[in-house]
Amino acid sequence: MKLGLSPATREILASRSFVINPLRARRDFLFQGGLGFGALALGDMLNAEDTESRSLALAPRPSHFPGTAKSVIFLFMQGGASHLETFDHKPLLTKYDGQLLPQSLQDFDLAQINTADSKVMAPQFPFRKYGESGVEISSLFPRLSQHADKMAIVRSMHHELFIHGSAMVMLHSGTSLLGHPSVGAWVVYGLGTESNSLPAYVAMTDGMFRNGASMYSSGFLPAVYQGVDMRAEGTPIQNLQRPPAIDANQQRLLLDQIKTWNREHLQTRPGDSRLAARIANYELAFRMQTAAPELIDLSTETKATHELYGIEGGPSERFGKMCLMSRRMVERGVRYVQLICGGWDAHGDCKGNHQSQAQKIDQPIAGLIADLEQRGLLDDTLLVWVGEFGRTPIRQGSNGRDHHPYGFSAWLAGGGVVGGKTIGATDDFGFNAVEDRVHVNDLHATMLGLLGLDHERLTYYFEGRDRRLTDVGGENNLASRLIRA
Amino acid sequence: MIKFWQVAAFVFFGLPITALTAADSDLLWSLRKPSRPKPPSVSSLKLASQVRNPIDRFVLGRLADTGLEVAPEADRRTLVRRAYFDLIGLPPSPRQVESFIQDESNDAWPRLIDSLLDSRHYGERWGRHWLDVVRYADSGGYETDIYYRNAWRYRDYVVKSFNDDKPYNIFVQEQIAGDELWPDDLDLDPRRVYIVSEKKLRHLEARIGTGFYALGPRVHESALDAKRLAYETLTDWVDTTASAFMGLTVGCSRCHDHKFDPFTQKDYFSLQAIFATAREVEQPLWNAMGEADWRGSYPRVLAVVEARKAYRLFDAQTRNAPLSPEQETRKQRLVAAIGQAVLALPERTGGQSTIPYDGLMHIPTVSILGRAHPSLIKPVHLLERGELGQPGEIMQPALPAALALATKSSPLLSDPFAARKQLALWLTKEDHPLTARVMVNRIWHWHFGRGVVATPNDFGNMGQSPTHPKLLDWLASQFVDGGWKIKDLHRLIMNSATYRRSGQFGGMRSLVEDPDNRLLWRMNRRRLEGEALWDSVHSAAGTINLALGGPPIAPPLAGDEIASLREKWHWVVSADPAQHTRRGIYILVRRNFQFPMFDVFDAPVTAVSCPVRDVTTVATQALWGLNNHTVFRQAMQMAGRVVKESGEVRSDQIDCAWRIALGRPPTSDESLSALRLLENLEKASTVPLEQPPETLKAISPDRAQALAKLCLALFNLSEFAFVD
Repeated sequence: MKLGLSPATREILASRSFVINPLRARRDFLFQGGLGFGALALGDMLNAEDTESRSLALAPRPSHFPGTAKSVIFLFMQGGASHLETFDHKPLLTKYDGQLLPQSLQDFDLAQINTADSKVMAPQFPFRKYGESGVEISSLFPRLSQHADKMAIVRSMHHELFIHGSAMVMLHSGTSLLGHPSVGAWVVYGLGTESNSLPAYVAMTDGMFRNGASMYSSGFLPAVYQGVDMRAEGTPIQNLQRPPAIDANQQRLLLDQIKTWNREHLQTRPGDSRLAARIANYELAFRMQTAAPELIDLSTETKATHELYGIEGGPSERFGKMCLMSRRMVERGVRYVQLICGGWDAHGDCKGNHQSQAQKIDQPIAGLIADLEQRGLLDDTLLVWVGEFGRTPIRQGSNGRDHHPYGFSAWLAGGGVVGGKTIGATDDFGFNAVEDRVHVNDLHATMLGLLGLDHERLTYYFEGRDRRLTDVGGENNLASRLIRA
Repeated sequence: MIKFWQVAAFVFFGLPITALTAADSDLLWSLRKPSRPKPPSVSSLKLASQVRNPIDRFVLGRLADTGLEVAPEADRRTLVRRAYFDLIGLPPSPRQVESFIQDESNDAWPRLIDSLLDSRHYGERWGRHWLDVVRYADSGGYETDIYYRNAWRYRDYVVKSFNDDKPYNIFVQEQIAGDELWPDDLDLDPRRVYIVSEKKLRHLEARIGTGFYALGPRVHESALDAKRLAYETLTDWVDTTASAFMGLTVGCSRCHDHKFDPFTQKDYFSLQAIFATAREVEQPLWNAMGEADWRGSYPRVLAVVEARKAYRLFDAQTRNAPLSPEQETRKQRLVAAIGQAVLALPERTGGQSTIPYDGLMHIPTVSILGRAHPSLIKPVHLLERGELGQPGEIMQPALPAALALATKSSPLLSDPFAARKQLALWLTKEDHPLTARVMVNRIWHWHFGRGVVATPNDFGNMGQSPTHPKLLDWLASQFVDGGWKIKDLHRLIMNSATYRRSGQFGGMRSLVEDPDNRLLWRMNRRRLEGEALWDSVHSAAGTINLALGGPPIAPPLAGDEIASLREKWHWVVSADPAQHTRRGIYILVRRNFQFPMFDVFDAPVTAVSCPVRDVTTVATQALWGLNNHTVFRQAMQMAGRVVKESGEVRSDQIDCAWRIALGRPPTSDESLSALRLLENLEKASTVPLEQPPETLKAISPDRAQALAKLCLALFNLSEFAFVD
């Protein structure tokens, strides 16, 4: 980290105390945490402007305790991938295919079908054991399953929201109500970013953000922690392209003049670090104009790399590009990458849907794991795969499955996770998570834990109390178990 | 004799006896009845000469204890710009600046304030502040982001209320219970069919206030999960009511008794019970004759239906083969017939020419609160841990017990169908400890960028303590005694010496000891909000359209700006280009897709009440200023305006541009460097400007593009974006 600040200042900034209180965070960052004006000379401030162009709110900060992961790639299966066709093998469903669920399971609310009168549907794909650990995975992921020994599969995910809108808010922010920060915003709030020319938190989708900006929102955290939606083609970030009538040289002319005038303005207004930060941000903006297009330009990657990710036409091309870009982001210090793969909402033809969905992601994710590993990045980079819920063990229409939040699967890899293990289980019908239940809050606590953040200490005062990503939950934090063999 | 409610309070709330007998002084400061403190006497103050009104006596009294240096009064140029942005959210024109500076009469400043308060743009500025508090949006959020087609009527109601200087107690009553307090307007006067009486219009307006409750976040698919929908709606209503009017955060009490404030889970669900009899209704905004006019036009609607049917029949018959030339002609005719039929639909009723249809033949309506049918009212249960699956006892509508005691009021509300009315009347009691304090503090916050209580939505134990408690109480008493008039409060605050202080002062001791300026030894500098920045850019360009009110507008967006929008048709660009330069308050507010520029400039997340906007500094703001297509187009427009107003001489143009953008002439250094910049830009060859304004064609293309870029640079100055 290249902060042009005194060690003492750095320490105070690193303590997060300067952003704990929104009222203080909003004001002069440099005066925070009991830091008087005297502790930080004006020279330091101007120095900070030149050498440290990102906002101090984004400066890298040490974690609460040593974590095993430094960055996250969150692979979100939008629409809700079926656990029963992917990572949770339930042979009993084959036996009971076409019959009603047991009485005890007939009283649960679902979105579009009734538990009481819908019939069990057998898993649509065969499962087998992979790797030395013998973890069971379906035939949908022939390439990804080669990495079975690196994956920790959680089969006991659960919450109670069976509608996309609420469930996605839950998966991204730990509650069912809008207005709370997304996981990535909390992570960047906790750790800052290592990149000085790219956003700290990037969200990308292969189609759409089904829940809009709430999927990468900063909620009640300052907007500086909001994810930037980046596009894989064209202009990756909005307003990145200069107006046609302004070329690079002219823009430099303008920027230099703006900087001069803004500095004169600053000099007659002591004690307002926002003005210095503003000047610095113009330089960062200038650099982003080069860095962001460079990031999504994959032409410098070898043919072998393109092949590894499945970027040679065909169904995996789009998500493959996103996976490759996310590796490039992690390499460049981006803290949190969220990739969205849409289209898993298999109300009809679950088999056909999942077959083609899997083709979109199997090779890209397998390639990503292999590539991160060969570059030595996998140890620092946490991968999380999950959807907003799983799908019902019972049939919708002739061959579909409805939304199912009471038991579903996720997996984690990299970032210190020792793979080849499974955690928790659903009942024999794949209906309820019954063993070692992992609520969404627990998954979030786990992610923070692997990053070295204590989910009970990562708080932000808002509307009457210190808020947490995990609200009042998160007791079943898996982090320490995941990093053990 | 012990009254029924007292018994009920014991039985119902299980209150300890001590709660009833607790001395006033044991209460949290914000729950004590405000007294009317005496300001420190002028003679006791060292800086007595600086006192302009009682506010200064409180503020200087506090500063005197610390011995901090105090900033001098700001110069007139700074003051006029401050007043314009503060009261109407628009920059003063160069002429308005000069006329204030040259006005040497003693009452120039108070007259300026009065004229700005009389401006109809005042309501837009201060109404927008209130819209933050009520989590205003035009759609429901979550997955499908359902559109609220008449939320804007509530927005216009707010703007009008501020412009009319509606007493705040009435404003509160209307929003919480306009329908229960003024129920008569449902019956339209049958004898005066075309003209509705003044009184009825007033009562209708009161009812529109309850639109407050019809624009919260809503899950579209929640109809599939009806219990949760009802619960989350009540949660939104109660939490927003408590935040906005009481300055209390009660959300935590949904799951457990409040840890820090005297607020129990029972209190919380009793508040929900107050709203249990209410439901959202769509109220037509016309009278019987208007409806008859609409029905009379019905054959025109039928004509549209038939024209569509004719096309679909044709399409079904010809879909499978290429069209012959005759068929192609027929197809064009059928399509044109649909267009003709649509265009023939009336846009207004015959009699009420002032109320246009909400798009084609939609009946103009407003979404407000009404009474649910008794058979459809579901009881409100206390929910263990706030979970729907764990319903406990059934709750009756009641005021929060500790608060009711503090105000010596009965907590139980006798009539469930007038519970909101009773809540509203209780909140607006003259001696209610919270209502006036909370609003006075909000007004102070919006003037100074920081409230006397820095947490305007949290007057509880977890909130910040007031920096000037006596000042706050004095202002609150003054406010109530003066009839709850907000404009009087503005006058009081802005005529103080405290408000008129310079923000540029940097006494070393003051900076070190009070860097956050809690004691108000200087004025706080403020960055313009997204809306004000938008308005400023368009004002400088001379393109701003200052029309008032109406449905939200959607300016065009560049491909990269609209990329993240799920359904592109959610952003229907307004057809009339004149609408694209309306004030920011009128731009469509989608919960799932903020107007991209506002998003970058810290617009509130519209999920819950927003008492204080963030002010962050991020690179995407700089990218907007440098590269956004709208900004560049406005820079060209401003260049055209500069040429028109100042002629062809470069130094005159520079002078004019400075006055327009910054409200002051350039310094000689600035003039020189601007001149050099123009010359350098003129030399560089460049892509010609796209669609420059006519007035810009008066100078050569090289000079035109250079001047446009100078204007762009001005938009990017800190001085443009901040108000001293």
